[in-house]
Amino acid sequence: MAVITLTGLRAWLVQRATAVYMLAFIVLFLARFVIAPPRSYDEWHGLMSGAGMIAATVLFFAALLTHAWVGLRDVVLDYVHVVALRAVLLPLLALGLVALGTWIVRIFWTIGG
Amino acid sequence: MHFSIFRYNPEHDDKPYMQDFRIDLESSDLMLLDVILRIKNVQDDSLTIRRSCREGICGSDAININGRNGLACVTNVRKLREPVELRPLPSFPVVRDLVVDMSRFWKQYHSIRPYLVNDEPPPEKERLQSPAERERLDGSYECIMCGCCTSQCPSSWWNPDTFVGPAGLLQAYRFISDSRDRATGERLQDLNRDPYRLFRCRTIMNCTEVCPMGLSPSRAIERIRLRMLDVEGHGGGLARHRVPTVR
Repeated sequence: MAVITLTGLRAWLVQRATAVYMLAFIVLFLARFVIAPPRSYDEWHGLMSGAGMIAATVLFFAALLTHAWVGLRDVVLDYVHVVALRAVLLPLLALGLVALGTWIVRIFWTIGG
Repeated sequence: MHFSIFRYNPEHDDKPYMQDFRIDLESSDLMLLDVILRIKNVQDDSLTIRRSCREGICGSDAININGRNGLACVTNVRKLREPVELRPLPSFPVVRDLVVDMSRFWKQYHSIRPYLVNDEPPPEKERLQSPAERERLDGSYECIMCGCCTSQCPSSWWNPDTFVGPAGLLQAYRFISDSRDRATGERLQDLNRDPYRLFRCRTIMNCTEVCPMGLSPSRAIERIRLRMLDVEGHGGGLARHRVPTVR
């Protein structure tokens, strides 16, 4: 139910904190690939299967999905004023993001395993 | 000079329309309001506009001039692009021609409790402030409540009944930063009670852009958010900016 209470100041803070994390991750990720690009699939796979890398990447996607939830929910609050339509759109949105999250976790589960 | 002016009289017109007026400027026509009043006096006395002080202090002649909100009385008419399109403040219900109904705007203003809240016994004379405490009110107390900012704010367009709007939030900040007020915590809590009152603001800064007094409601909103996080900021007032010329 934490997502439901993600309003006002907390949502605003989470939006900014996740943005900062994503920016840092993208910069470091790209820097790593520019400075020392993996030469083969095995090297790339090795890089992505380290425990630290998996944790950082999963956190990146968690930040992305949370950021997207706050942002898209804002769009719904701004433009969709019919309560019934909101009641359909918001759960659909949440469901879509949860499905994406599950898919991402599954991919990393496979890599890790 | 060529003017295209929004006309709507709900007693006679089914829908609004734009009416063209052509008038030769006289040497006494300095500001846009001078010309609007001359059009009204000479060409069409049914043209309706609200105005009072005619010197940029009362804020009653705020209208949309060539797509941008401003005060007719302090807008140099000779610098305007022709045809000069004059419309009532966007998103406010039209009463007639250039006059809008500001009830919703005032309702939001009143909702922030625009007065000092202090239950301590009053001193013999007055509640004093140090010069530094007084300085914190700079950039917010000067608001003339013309509505230019709120009318040009998309967040107010989408949620006018629930989002306080830039003018109301600037005033909220004015009382939050007042050393004599004792309700800071309640005020901050009230603005954070739902996702609408403060947090519909997306910081696009139209409010700051159009303020005819050069004030910065978006900066005030940022300061309120920081106060919610217990960050005091620099302690000084809000900087004012140069008002761009309406063209």
